[in-house]
Amino acid sequence: MKNTIKVERAKKNWTQADLAKHIGISRQSLNSIETGKFIPSTILALRMAKAFDTSVEVLFQLEEGEY
Amino acid sequence: MEQSKKTEGRASIIFSLIFAATYLLATLLLKRHLLGQTASILIAILPVIAFAFFIFKYVKAVANMDEVRQRVQFEAVIIGFSLTVMLLIALFLLSLTDISYPEWFGYSQLVIFCWLFYFIGWLVSKKKYGI
Repeated sequence: MKNTIKVERAKKNWTQADLAKHIGISRQSLNSIETGKFIPSTILALRMAKAFDTSVEVLFQLEEGEY
Repeated sequence: MEQSKKTEGRASIIFSLIFAATYLLATLLLKRHLLGQTASILIAILPVIAFAFFIFKYVKAVANMDEVRQRVQFEAVIIGFSLTVMLLIALFLLSLTDISYPEWFGYSQLVIFCWLFYFIGWLVSKKKYGI
């Protein structure tokens, strides 16, 4: 699964720490999600999408072979 | 919310230190065989109670962690538990053939191995998730 968290963060000019604070997780945990090492739960993905004013589908996309 | 997470985390660390202190103290006292049977039983139970409190606080601390940290703790416990079971299986099977090393694998050493395996699991999982 790939994500566009870094791109969305850049649009808002947010650091990892800023976003982590918004969604209530640690910066290290956010880094783990952003680098694709951890797939977040639905509720966290929704919280993230809300923070960016976008949808979960924009933030997370399945890669080839994951369908 | 954030403050409560920190408080729970700190409480579990404090209780782990209390457990370690009572465990070491009980070991030192019981090794000397100075106490009667009832007193010895009471002293032996103290670290067990301290450990129960520690586990209670640890579970509360894990419940307050974010999901990545919860996964790290979950995998650390799984790895620690699995390695401990593997060691116990090997020791049991070896004991059937009268091969045993009580000075290396006695009860006291097994407690240390349990902790060691948990920390191995913790490090492995932390590395896996990059936190």
